[in-house]
Amino acid sequence: MQLSQTRPNMPETSSYYHVAYTVALSIYALYGISLYLRRKRLRGK
Amino acid sequence: MKISWLDTVAGLAVVGTVVRAAFFTPLEAKQGAAQKIFYIHVPSAWVAFLAFGLVAVASAAFLWLRDPRLDRFAESSAEVGVIFTSVVLITGPLWAKPIWGAYWAWWDVRLVSTLFLWFIYVSYIVLRGAIDAPEMRARYSAVLGILGALLIPFIHLSVYLFATMHPMPIVGKPSAPSLPNEMLLTLFISLTSFTLLYFAFVRSRYRYAFERDAALANAAQHA
Repeated sequence: MQLSQTRPNMPETSSYYHVAYTVALSIYALYGISLYLRRKRLRGK
Repeated sequence: MKISWLDTVAGLAVVGTVVRAAFFTPLEAKQGAAQKIFYIHVPSAWVAFLAFGLVAVASAAFLWLRDPRLDRFAESSAEVGVIFTSVVLITGPLWAKPIWGAYWAWWDVRLVSTLFLWFIYVSYIVLRGAIDAPEMRARYSAVLGILGALLIPFIHLSVYLFATMHPMPIVGKPSAPSLPNEMLLTLFISLTSFTLLYFAFVRSRYRYAFERDAALANAAQHA
């Protein structure tokens, strides 16, 4: 891979990057929240 | 219930990684912004392999020692591994589409074998849910946990063995990494923060399994 010396004019690729980051971080956040809630619910029983 | 220091550190590390990747890492010359998916895709794949590798180690140790803590760890690591593999299987196609022109290619051995790995460990979780007897559940799932991990070296070596759209390793190879220093640093930060996230998730999931087993044992005593 090489660094870009000028800013590449490829706006169409940035939407994939935004979607990938949003989906990945949402999955990790939701899993973290689900772990917290599962333990909380177990302790509440 | 308190949030542990490890959860906090892992969360902050992941946020820091995303900020560095998005705003402080230069664009790649040919791929543009899509290449930044690399900083989530590759560390998630590394953690998935780590998670399933540790499932196999803990499962083998369980079959030898019959310690329920090892079974609980394997159960926790498998579930976390499935989460990371899901991210790999979603971010990969999102990177492939703008660069390769297609979301998926069934002839690409690395893609398909990673999907199979995901299916094996989803089956592992389903199997655990289907068996009530703890000893039998632990033994059967330990065997599946070990066999599933045999796919990991095959997936890693698939780029050498088959024609695939995936590139040859650019970091994990005998010669120097073919990656500029700025990108290499971001990758190492990302690998570290996602590994921390793995340990935070597994710790939390293990504690849940421990408290669940304790509650079940308590309920059985009072029945």
